[in-house]
Amino acid sequence: MKAATTTQRLWFYRLLTLSVTALLVHLLAIWAAPHAIMWVLMQGPQARALNMQNQAAFPPAVTANSRNVVMPSPDMLYSVCTYDVSEGPVRVTANPALPSYWSIALYASNSDNFYVLNDRKARGKPVDLWLVSEGANRTDHAVPSGSQVVVTPTRKGFLLMRVLTGNYEAEKATLEPARRTLACTKI
Amino acid sequence: MTARHSSKARRWAIGTALYLGAVALGLGSAVWVVKKAPWLNTTVQVGSWKGNMLAGNPDADLYTRAAIAVNALLALNREETMYFVAAQDEAGKPLRSSCTYRVEGVPPQARWWSITAYADDLFLFDAPNGQYSLNGTTAKLDTKGQFSFTTGPKDPGDTFWLPTPGQRGMVLTLRLYNPTPALQASPASMVAPSIKPLGDCA
Repeated sequence: MKAATTTQRLWFYRLLTLSVTALLVHLLAIWAAPHAIMWVLMQGPQARALNMQNQAAFPPAVTANSRNVVMPSPDMLYSVCTYDVSEGPVRVTANPALPSYWSIALYASNSDNFYVLNDRKARGKPVDLWLVSEGANRTDHAVPSGSQVVVTPTRKGFLLMRVLTGNYEAEKATLEPARRTLACTKI
Repeated sequence: MTARHSSKARRWAIGTALYLGAVALGLGSAVWVVKKAPWLNTTVQVGSWKGNMLAGNPDADLYTRAAIAVNALLALNREETMYFVAAQDEAGKPLRSSCTYRVEGVPPQARWWSITAYADDLFLFDAPNGQYSLNGTTAKLDTKGQFSFTTGPKDPGDTFWLPTPGQRGMVLTLRLYNPTPALQASPASMVAPSIKPLGDCA
C-alpha cells in the first residue's frame, strides 16, 4: 500500500479541522439562539422602552404593528415583566378576577416555560408568587403568608401574563384595570 | 518574495479560507435547521396541521428549544396550550396570501381555540378590517356544528374573512387553550380543520 503524501496528509487534516469546526459552530449556534433571543427580549431596546425590569409593563393590544415577538396572538392582551432574583426574591402579585381565560407564565433565560398559573388553577384567588433562585438562602427573607414560593432555574427570566380578549375595544374598560393588577416587586 | 515564502502564504490563505468556510457552514446549517425544524421536527401531524408537543417543555431537546425560540417564542406547554401550524393546503401545496382558502371544521376539544393567519415572516397581516383570527368566541357554527371562514386578498362576502394582502407565503396557526386531557394524551386524535383552495390566485 502506498503511503500518503505530504499533500494528502495536509488535506486530510484540513478537512478534519473543517468538519470539527463546522460541527462545533453549529452546536454552539443552536445552543446560543434561545439565550440570545431571550436576551434581546429582556434587555433589548423594546425592553428598555417598556421599563419592565422587576416591574410590570403593559404593552398595547396586538395589531399588525406588533413586531417584537413572532406569532403574537391577536386574541390575548399581554402584560410583561423581566425579573432578576440575583439580589433577592421578586414578588409577583395579580388579581385579574375575570371570568374568562388568563394565565401567568414564567420563562427561564433559555426560553423554557417552567411555570404556568391560569384562572382555573388560581380558583378565584389572587396570585401571589415569591420568586427565588435555586440555592438561594430562603431564611434571608421571610416568605409572606399565602405567597407561593417558585424556584426559577435561572436568575433572570421573563413573565408573560395573557388575558383573553375576544374584542379588545368592547372589553377594554374591563380588561385594562384587570391586567393592571399585575405587579412585580423586587424585595 | 521567495518560492518558499509564497508557498507558506498560500497555505495560510487556504487554511484561513477553509476555516471561515467551516464557520459559515456551521452557522448556515444552524439557521437552516431552526427555520425548517417546525416542519422537519414535527411530533404530530393531523391533515395539513403540524405540531411539536415538546413546545414550551423544559425537557425539550436542544433543537426543539432553538426552533421554538426562533419560530414561536414564549410558547406554553402542552397542558396549557397546544399549537398546530399549517403551511400547506389539503392538497399539499404551500399556502400563498394571494390565494383564497376556505377553512372548515368542528370546534376542537379545548376550553378555547383560535386560528390566526400569519405572513411568512410569522407576523400578522395588515388586515384592513382588523380581523386577524377566528376563535371560539367569534366563530358562528352552522346547523352541523361546524365553523367556516375564508382567507384571501378579497372579501368573499359569504363567510368570516381573514384578509391576507400581498404576494407572499403564509401559515395558519391553530391554538388550543386548555385542551381536554384526552386530546393532550392523543394529539393525533384531533379532528383537523380542512383547508381548501378556492378558485384561482390573484
